Amino acid sequence: MSLKTKLLLLTAISISASVGAVAFLIEDRAHEAFRTVEHERTAGLVSQFRREFDHEGDDVIHSVETIANSESMLRAAIELSNGADVARFVNEAQSYAAAQRLDFLDLVAPDSTIISSAHWPARFGYKQRWFLDRPGPLPQQAFLKHVETPTGSELALLCLRPVPTQGASYYLVGGRKLDAVLQALSPPQGLRVAVYSAPEQGQGGLLGPAREGLDLNRVMPLVQKTLDQRSEVSMTIDMGGKLLEEDQQIVHAIPLKGYGDRVSAVLLVGNSLQQELTLEKRIRNISLVIAAVGVIIGVIVSGVMTARLSRPIRELAEAATEVGQGNWNVRVESGAKDEIGRLASAFNQMTGELITQRERLVQSERVAAWRELARRLAHELKNPLFPLQITVENLVRARENTPEQFDEVFRESAATLLAEITNLKTIIGRFSDFSKMPAPQLQRVDLNEMVRSVVQLFQGQLKRDGTKIEPDLQLDAQLPPVSGDPTLLRRVMENLVLNAIDAMPNGGRLTLRTRTEGKAAIFEIGDTGKGLTREECDRLFTPYYTTKQHGTGLGLAIVQSVVSDHHGRVSVSSKQGQGTTFSVELPLFSSSEDSSGERNEFRVGAGS
Amino acid sequence: MKRSRLQSVAASSLLLLGLCAAAEAGSRPRYGGTARVLLHDRVNSLDPATEDDHPASRDRMAALVFETLTSVDRQGRVHPRLASAWTPDAARRVWRFYLRLATFHDGSQLTAADAASVLSKNQYGWKVTAGDRQTVVIEAPAPVVHMPEMLAQPRFAVVKHLPDNAIAGTGPYKLREWQPAERAAFTANEDYWGGRPYPDAIEFQMGATLRDELLQRQLSPASAAELGLDQMRALDTSNQSIALSSASDLMVLLFLQPESGGKPGRKPVDPRVREALSKAINRAAISNVILQKHGLAASGLLPQWLTGYEFLFPGGTNLDRARELRAEAAGLIIISPIALAYDFSDPVAKLAAERIAVDAREAGLTVQPYGESHINSRNARASINADAVLLRIPLASLEPSVALASLAEDLGLSLDLSVAALGAARPEDLFEVESKALADFRVVPVSHSSQALWLNNGVHNWVQLPNGVWDLDQLWVEGAR
Repeated sequence: MSLKTKLLLLTAISISASVGAVAFLIEDRAHEAFRTVEHERTAGLVSQFRREFDHEGDDVIHSVETIANSESMLRAAIELSNGADVARFVNEAQSYAAAQRLDFLDLVAPDSTIISSAHWPARFGYKQRWFLDRPGPLPQQAFLKHVETPTGSELALLCLRPVPTQGASYYLVGGRKLDAVLQALSPPQGLRVAVYSAPEQGQGGLLGPAREGLDLNRVMPLVQKTLDQRSEVSMTIDMGGKLLEEDQQIVHAIPLKGYGDRVSAVLLVGNSLQQELTLEKRIRNISLVIAAVGVIIGVIVSGVMTARLSRPIRELAEAATEVGQGNWNVRVESGAKDEIGRLASAFNQMTGELITQRERLVQSERVAAWRELARRLAHELKNPLFPLQITVENLVRARENTPEQFDEVFRESAATLLAEITNLKTIIGRFSDFSKMPAPQLQRVDLNEMVRSVVQLFQGQLKRDGTKIEPDLQLDAQLPPVSGDPTLLRRVMENLVLNAIDAMPNGGRLTLRTRTEGKAAIFEIGDTGKGLTREECDRLFTPYYTTKQHGTGLGLAIVQSVVSDHHGRVSVSSKQGQGTTFSVELPLFSSSEDSSGERNEFRVGAGS
Repeated sequence: MKRSRLQSVAASSLLLLGLCAAAEAGSRPRYGGTARVLLHDRVNSLDPATEDDHPASRDRMAALVFETLTSVDRQGRVHPRLASAWTPDAARRVWRFYLRLATFHDGSQLTAADAASVLSKNQYGWKVTAGDRQTVVIEAPAPVVHMPEMLAQPRFAVVKHLPDNAIAGTGPYKLREWQPAERAAFTANEDYWGGRPYPDAIEFQMGATLRDELLQRQLSPASAAELGLDQMRALDTSNQSIALSSASDLMVLLFLQPESGGKPGRKPVDPRVREALSKAINRAAISNVILQKHGLAASGLLPQWLTGYEFLFPGGTNLDRARELRAEAAGLIIISPIALAYDFSDPVAKLAAERIAVDAREAGLTVQPYGESHINSRNARASINADAVLLRIPLASLEPSVALASLAEDLGLSLDLSVAALGAARPEDLFEVESKALADFRVVPVSHSSQALWLNNGVHNWVQLPNGVWDLDQLWVEGAR
């Protein structure tokens, strides 16, 4: 990833993070504000509920007291206490309840027997002891209690009043359904209010007009928690609709204590989160848009800025790459006076120093090469010069001491001199050859054929002195022709084969392998000799370096020179004790060369 | 002085004579006037042969138009009606009824063939033939001890079907106007074989309640009305004339079964559960409170005052035993709630059904009462989705065997029970038949209740038999000529 890209990315991330942080803060503040409003709305509704509850309670008290104090009820109580037939009064409660708009009314005898029941007329004769079993005076206020009806238990706001007679008191238990309180409420938009009725036995249920909007199964854990803790509990509940924002509600559950301090019901106030979630979603969307616009603008601005900032750095990087590739004559132009400008000056100074150093090095290497060449020449020439000197001295000595044998000595010495002179010519020729390496005449060459030809040539040497070197030809039959000079390549191949034979004085296996790799043909020659050390491998292609007792050290240098002239590569790999393998990579013959290549194709039998 | 005294004595005597004459005139039957009757139920057809939701109300009206061969008085004695005489064979299996000369309202003469065609549609396999023009011969496969009492039931009234789908009878009144379920008007039959009835007409208003009529002050002095027992208390303190029958109507809990008129495919309630419910019901509470002491707790199908043996049937509340039976049943089956249907239009039945539900709850049983529009006919019961129905069945006859046979038929019990009841010559035999009927708790008697009739002060000689049947032969109303 380029510096420019990194800078761009960094800028984009910074802008996004900044915008995101701002959006988060706005959303958080909005959320908090909503919660505050929601709490206030809920508190208002609960307060309204309590007012309505108290008002309805007062109304129930008034109704029951009106019945209890009515002349007809007093007369009925007196008649009953005087032993009147209770059957006559079985429908009494219904008419009183209808007159006072009470949903529930029981006329109860002093022994707790129900004389008449408005809501469950058939229940006459059964006992209703719950208020008589509780010690203490009768409650004066209205209270919540579940009332048994033919259809089940119903939550009621009840009032209990005695109807005193001369003897024991009769009782009136009257009340209304809590639904009336809920119906009287006018919750603000988005608020839902319902009451969970929690009877002592059996399953509870929701009351109120908003019960349809509250799924009992989903609010039940909240209700149960409230019943257990007997204190207000709030919870965010997903009502399970299609759209999340339509169905999430904060539900406040407030326990409503009834007769005997028992929690008879739970007031549920559900506040829809639709508005809040919609606004939060809008804020989020706006934040995303702002972030996107900010990122785009940031990218453009920072793109321009980073382009200006990174151009000298990029030029420096490109110059460094050039330097790395050997081109030291490169300079970075920077008019800036900042750190980057100073860096560019330092770079230019560094390359100048490098060039100076290189020139010095070349100079010293040239001197060293000449010295090495001189040393080699001296060494190579000294060897044949010494026999020449000895032979000439022998001739002089024979002429002076044994003239009679001079002729014979002369003949022998002349032969020796000619041989040594020939040797000198050979040495000089080699040096001459190395210095005059001809430019390759490229043409289509079949490497496989060349390998077979060279191996055929060296058949005799492979089986000398009782040692046996087994040639192993692993030639790629599909190997395409390469582009090369057949004479020079043959010389390369012969040099490498000779080296391999020299490396296996005790015999072994000579492997010759050809293959294709990409757009190049590979030719490998491997021996099973003792191998080379890493240092030897590194210096192997250095001119005049040899590991052999006899050798000019020019063979592999010539190989490298020829391969290099063919735009190829030569490499060596070796493992001590296992042998050495030379690998020559040559470019394949291209079709553009084919037209001329047809005539110049290398033929082993004919061209060599 | 003397003269003036004599004058005052003479004037006083004249005034006294006048008052006596007026009093005599007020208590003596007179012709004319229209009696107006309020019926609680709505009747759709006057034909006694058709099935109606409210057969008792239908029979009250039909008795004015259609006559039976015999009739029964308030002591249960049989009297000739269309049949002037009858003779059984020694085995009381073959009966001969000799018809009097009577005329249908269309002017045709009553013949034995007319009577035979009606009587031959019985359930008991009787072979009914016309011996001659005036003799009807009934040949029953088994003895029928009280055939004359049997034929006094309205279901055996002689009806003549006319070609235009009209029906005609021989009764003291002719049908003048018929609005099904709304209103019926009858005029006196001037050619009635027993002599013209006193009123010129009798009008029935169906589906009316006395309370509404009283509130609207639409009642004429010559009015009568069926009265629900729940309305009794409101009228007790007033000076109204209320006629009460004996506790004759049977309130009974009938468990429906496919073979006895229940809905096909509906699973019957387990016998242990039925017995548990029977033990749980507080019959005394129902008769004393709901029926305002105008009813008696029932343990048998026929009332004690009629048979004398009802006390032998166990009918008291035993909640412990009910709970035991319920637990026993719960160990073997899953006890489902019992859907109990009652007559939607009967507030007393509603309260009684709810009371049964309350009592059942004490025994651990769930009874769900609900109102149904049609539960009184067997065909209607076959289509309702209830496990049991609470019925009020009037006592069909003052003869126990006839009443039991009729009840068995109404309740959809086995025909053998009816036949056995008709053949029962001794109370022991009848007790045995009734015991069989009650053995499996498919029929659970709840109470016997009275029928109440409100009569305004302008109505006279309105006779109500102990079983609630009206005898209006001697009815006359004030305000007539």
